[in-house]
Amino acid sequence: MIVPMNEVLALSAVLFAIGVFGFLARRNIILMLVSVEVMLNAVNLALAGFSQHLDDPRGQVLALFVIAVAAAEAGVGLGLVIALNRNKPGAGVADLTSLKW
Amino acid sequence: MDFLTAEAAFYYMAAASVTSAILAVTRKNPVHSMLWVLALFFHVAGIFLLLDAEFLAAVQVIVYAGAILIFYLFVLMLLDLPDEEARPRFGKHWPFAAAVGLSFAALAWLAQVEKLDPDATAVAPSAARETEGEPLGSVADVGKALFGPFALPFELASLVLLAAIVGAVVLAGKRTKS
Repeated sequence: MIVPMNEVLALSAVLFAIGVFGFLARRNIILMLVSVEVMLNAVNLALAGFSQHLDDPRGQVLALFVIAVAAAEAGVGLGLVIALNRNKPGAGVADLTSLKW
Repeated sequence: MDFLTAEAAFYYMAAASVTSAILAVTRKNPVHSMLWVLALFFHVAGIFLLLDAEFLAAVQVIVYAGAILIFYLFVLMLLDLPDEEARPRFGKHWPFAAAVGLSFAALAWLAQVEKLDPDATAVAPSAARETEGEPLGSVADVGKALFGPFALPFELASLVLLAAIVGAVVLAGKRTKS
């Protein structure tokens, strides 16, 4: 089944742009990390689209690696959020003004 | 499924995933955002199915929706942010963020607007395909690539995950007064 490649790339670009907006605009650290996940999903979409367009499984393998890195990023990122929350309750980026405590 | 049905399914998935992504980054309640991200992940998994990436669709549902998102929800509930809804959801600079996002989308649109060559398949035969005679299903192809030429990166990915686990424990673990 052939889905047009241009449409897949356009959808991927739109999703990535939404992720960029969310990452830059939200004030909550957790939702910024979720926006990163949206961006990674957009990239996976483009990789899967190219994988089908070029009839090459390597695109899907790369997308699997992206998913593995996303899992690692979620683990470390949320560990950081918990560590920050212990020192100063709340999850707003604007509250994190001190470099040392 | 014939071509028209696939086309209609793709446009439904595309519209639904864009809508749920927009709702996910704009909702005030973080838990609602997470649930919209869940909808986004499922629709992206549907698009993966349309793109003949069945294994990727399964991994998307199991790892993304099943593990990563639940992890986010756990941390969100652990932190207990009662005044989150009372505070502004965007920083003061949000028009700048919207401009950056829109310009990125415009740039990517300009980059892809040139029609891709439909005969590109003939130009770029993959290394993984050359070695085998029979046409395989997509899952078998991915498995052969993953455990053939990509075996070393695959093992390195496990090392990255191990480092992430240890790092998360070190960062979030209880600190004893020294």
